[in-house]
Amino acid sequence: MSKPVPIPDAASAFFWEGAARGELLVQMCADCESFQYPPTVVCEKCQSRDVRPVRVSGRGTLYALTVMHQAFLPIFAEDLPFTIALVDLDDAPGARLLTNIVDAAPAGLAAGDPLEVVFEPRGDYALPQFRPARSQPERGGAE
Amino acid sequence: MKGARQATVVGVGYSSVHREIGVDTRPLVVDACLGALHDAGLTTSQIDAVFEYPGAGSQIAVNVQRLLGIPDLRAFGDLGGSGPSGLAAAMAAVAAVESGVCDVALVFRSVNREWGQQSGRTEVPPAGNAAQFTLPYGDFGGIIPSIGMKKYRRLAELGGSEEDYGHITLNARQWSAMYERGVLTQPLTMDDYLSSRFIAEPLRLLDCDYPVTGACAAIITTAERARDLAGAAVTVDSVAFGTGSRPDWTFSDDFVFGGTIGCAQHLWATSSVTPAEVDVAELYDGFTHITISWVEALGLCGIGEFGDWVDGGKRIGPGGALPLNTNGGQLASGRLHGLSFLTEAVQQLRGDCGPRQVPGARVAVVANAHGPQCGAMVLTRT
Repeated sequence: MSKPVPIPDAASAFFWEGAARGELLVQMCADCESFQYPPTVVCEKCQSRDVRPVRVSGRGTLYALTVMHQAFLPIFAEDLPFTIALVDLDDAPGARLLTNIVDAAPAGLAAGDPLEVVFEPRGDYALPQFRPARSQPERGGAE
Repeated sequence: MKGARQATVVGVGYSSVHREIGVDTRPLVVDACLGALHDAGLTTSQIDAVFEYPGAGSQIAVNVQRLLGIPDLRAFGDLGGSGPSGLAAAMAAVAAVESGVCDVALVFRSVNREWGQQSGRTEVPPAGNAAQFTLPYGDFGGIIPSIGMKKYRRLAELGGSEEDYGHITLNARQWSAMYERGVLTQPLTMDDYLSSRFIAEPLRLLDCDYPVTGACAAIITTAERARDLAGAAVTVDSVAFGTGSRPDWTFSDDFVFGGTIGCAQHLWATSSVTPAEVDVAELYDGFTHITISWVEALGLCGIGEFGDWVDGGKRIGPGGALPLNTNGGQLASGRLHGLSFLTEAVQQLRGDCGPRQVPGARVAVVANAHGPQCGAMVLTRT
């Protein structure tokens, strides 16, 4: 038995295919420029059908986390305790991902902490997960 | 004013409650429904509508119609899945009665312990549709991970302490000890709460309700019909649903409160009373976070003020200024899943509660669920 692999649909295929390439993409509305997650068939703000994948930096901010001490699926028991979190993407306001926090003791984290994306291979795809930010955000015009 | 068609609750009934698995709920549903009919002074042939909230351990409305030998129905519905728990059935009955679709509605919720069991699964369900964004990350076990994150976020954003949550659990045990159907009736200390194991940290075992097998029922009819009945009628003063914007248990705009705040606003906007007039509150406690959300959303105290307001538990306990979950709720008297908050409110307003009776209770507020599936009612007795 292996861990569950995401089953993309027409609206979400770009997200999982992007993750498989090591890229984080979210939907942006071409009409009102709102970001949204999870991906769906219309813009939930203006109902435009013209929602497009855009690549984001992968930098985010911790919104909330929970440390799982009980695996409700036995396949996750080997990972206990593991951390599930909600992360707000810095350059896609309104897009909040459910994810895992890796490479960090959860007790050392607090809401608002800066995070960065990493990709965990899973079947034909990969899961965007987050760890504490190591690199400084690039600043335009600094050089 | 709704006049003669004003919805009233005229009877409540319960089955026995069981902690073991494998119990057939059909006899229990019959017991609860016949109990409510007896309480109301009605017979099965006078019922013309049946509403219920389905799920494992339940029977659909027409199956219970058969079991009870009700000749025909003018209205029925199975209001499951996305609605405000067991209260959804009563909310539908109120609308049907007040609109004139039916006159005497039976509502019930039957549930089994297996339905509350999130662990012990071995097969991995497919991570498609909405689950593709949660399940691959180990987010499984109903809404437990989401509730763990809501507790975390509330503590981070609004402050307060874990003891605030503990007071909900300790309070439930105080009341269940005085309730003939109490299930977990041993008193708890705050140390007991704070040392209970983490499930989805910071969510603890003692933040979660207790799964049981059982049923409860209520009869809802018009004020006009109620006048002909022997029992005391309780008025359904106002009813409201609530979802919040972009409703979802995880990906919603208001993650901490879900739809509770909007639901409460709708509820008071159509009520004849105010939050300050509430004598007793019966607020869903599937998880302690839900109860705290409702206390604040309903304006019983300010947002983020629960910890001070609860006053070490004194305010919500026996003899307190605002008794809360006076039958021990689902935390201590078992998860009958929502409708038991309504039946307890009705009993309190009728003065039927014996040692746990809130003296002179005339206004009760009832709320169910959280997130995208909120529902609430104000009940009054003049």
